[in-house]
Amino acid sequence: MNQKRLFLRPCTWVYVTLMFLTFITWFVGVNNLSGRFFAFMVLGFALLKGQLIGDYFMGLKQVAGLWRWVIFIWLALVGTLISVAFWQTL
Amino acid sequence: MTGMEKNRWPPGDLVIWIFIMAELLVFGVFFAAYAFTRTNHVELFNTYQLTLDRNAALINTVALITSSYFVVRAVAAIRVDDSRRCFHWLLAALAMGLLFLVVKGAEYHHHFSQGINLNTNTFYMFYLSLTFFHFLHVILGMIILLAVALKARSGGYSAAEHTGVETGASYWHMVDLVWMVLFPLVYVMR
Amino acid sequence: MKYQSQKVAKLYFIAAIGLFVGQILFGLIIGAQYIWGDFLFPEIPFNVARMVHTNLLIVWLLFGFMGAAYYLVPEEAETDLVMPWLATLMFWIFLAAGAATILGYLLVPYSSLAELTQNDLLPTMGREFLEQPTITKLGIVVVALAFLANIGLTILKGRKTVINLVLLMGLAGLAVFFLFSFFNPVNIVWDKYYWWWVVHLWVEGVWELILGSILAFILIKTTGVDREVIEKWLYVIIAMTLITGIVGTGHHYYWIGTPEFWQWWGSIFSAMEPIPFFMMTVFAFNMVNKRRRNHPNKAAVLWALGTAVMAFLGAGVWGFLHTLAPVNYYTHGTQITAAHGHMAFYGAYVMINLAIISYAMPLLRGREAANSNKSQVLEMWGFWLMTISIIFITLFLTAAGILQVYLQRFSDSPMPFMVVQEKIELFYVLRELTGLVFLAGLIVYIASSFVGSNEPEATAEGEVVAS
Repeated sequence: MNQKRLFLRPCTWVYVTLMFLTFITWFVGVNNLSGRFFAFMVLGFALLKGQLIGDYFMGLKQVAGLWRWVIFIWLALVGTLISVAFWQTL
Repeated sequence: MTGMEKNRWPPGDLVIWIFIMAELLVFGVFFAAYAFTRTNHVELFNTYQLTLDRNAALINTVALITSSYFVVRAVAAIRVDDSRRCFHWLLAALAMGLLFLVVKGAEYHHHFSQGINLNTNTFYMFYLSLTFFHFLHVILGMIILLAVALKARSGGYSAAEHTGVETGASYWHMVDLVWMVLFPLVYVMR
Repeated sequence: MKYQSQKVAKLYFIAAIGLFVGQILFGLIIGAQYIWGDFLFPEIPFNVARMVHTNLLIVWLLFGFMGAAYYLVPEEAETDLVMPWLATLMFWIFLAAGAATILGYLLVPYSSLAELTQNDLLPTMGREFLEQPTITKLGIVVVALAFLANIGLTILKGRKTVINLVLLMGLAGLAVFFLFSFFNPVNIVWDKYYWWWVVHLWVEGVWELILGSILAFILIKTTGVDREVIEKWLYVIIAMTLITGIVGTGHHYYWIGTPEFWQWWGSIFSAMEPIPFFMMTVFAFNMVNKRRRNHPNKAAVLWALGTAVMAFLGAGVWGFLHTLAPVNYYTHGTQITAAHGHMAFYGAYVMINLAIISYAMPLLRGREAANSNKSQVLEMWGFWLMTISIIFITLFLTAAGILQVYLQRFSDSPMPFMVVQEKIELFYVLRELTGLVFLAGLIVYIASSFVGSNEPEATAEGEVVAS
């Protein structure tokens, strides 16, 4: 492990980011903030969180080829479908 | 975790990844079904979404993320041949999983005591089905983690051979990942 | 063959094939009745012939499963069956009860059969696939219990492998769910609700475990791939089967008086039921590609691969075709269902039985590993004739079904059932002709057991370098 470490392990930085995004999502929730801006913001956070989990927790960042993108593809598909559905109603 | 050489295969057994993909597909279909059904019942969904406990959902999200983080540390520990540490991180992860089950159980208790069930309305049908399906996955993931933890304690893994730890970890992260989408979709987006 | 007691499987396999022939003959009779409505009337009315066709199917598949279990359990457990005599005794009891029941269907009117067998004491007759007189059902339970005790104790005594445990789980589930055939509520919703616990949870639940374990056994034996690798696959396949299959029961609960959420549960989970079948296909081909050696019994490998593909097509794809609630709203109970039923039963359960028979029979008859080349070539002809026939039967029935759905239910001016039946008659003729080809395939398949017995065994060509 002769890589340089920025004060914390990468996975710890990811953890802090995930928590931060979670709190914003919760804040939007408890205040019943609605509409396209907030809905798509929390959806975007969710997809970002998913990608971070895939890349750093599941370790896909270290993988080459198609497997590198399985989580990304799933998030993109699910994100698109949810967006299409919500866009019509917000 | 040097990040210099890229691997051809994801960590853990490839078979678990095929299983993960299958599971993600089921959840994906479920999420899309929720979103599109909502378009026909916007008011109903918005009304009953307010009866959900966002604070409980926050605790649960934090529990799952923290648990996932602990599992990452467990994998890191076994990669430097530290079985004891690996075991302790896995125990911590399991404790977080248990916290999730308790909080979610309390939520269910609250809803059921109000006489809410699958037939109450379409929103509750989705809410209960989706979260309960996920709930079962948390239990399955915990069983897998427990098996891995016990084997780690008895020294069954090493820096050279720890596919089992990575396999269990990958599955557990999937359970976490799914909740990352479920939380905003069902509890927050309106 | 390593253990003397495995030999009992031979009886079961022979009976299975015998009943299979009967099933196909009655299939041809009902196929003809779709074209000439009064064919063989009043001797063999359509409802009776259909009952015989489906009951023979189930019974011969059960014979096959039992034979497979008696063959592979001792080999996996590395010990002889604890009670080989019981296996032989149960064989004759099961065969006699099965034959008596079929003769009962054919010789007396169904209502008289019900009276004759004291159905009033514990009414269980009259439900599709579960038409057997109560006394026969009780007999099935006795046979099943004796069978489970026999293989269960053998497994307990010997080595416990994943294959054996999955097989035992499947067979125990088969017996447990059959008990719901005795539960016959007056309320027709409850009636149907629990009826599916037998029918659906058999073919889309526990039978898949049996299928998976037999397939895994054949692949271990013919490819030489590590047991560990094969067991891992078996684990995820059965996990996915149970996740999707159990809740997938909901695809039978649309609009029959059950709560509405079943439309969602049934649609979503049963739409995922092709996944374990797809995994099985990937699994089988993967293992054969990774093989450590070429097995001389090429016919058995062909059947195993065929099962994986045809089960996915028949059960997976053709099932998905009409499983979503909005689609099923139109297709329910049409020829689409028949198309799915034919390919799924053949692809999954007929083929896995023929696969294990193909693998085990030469060994049971004293060969070292495989039949002679001549016999295998003929057997593979049988494979292709039957498989291609079933594909065409499925396609013709699908075409008939699409037309039926459109003309009878979907168009702006729907036509009555019988008018539509006349319009789709062409497909019934084609189906019947293809059915004759299937019978020819079956004859070729059986003939393959009798040719080349005096010739030397086939040998594996070419050595495969372990990868």
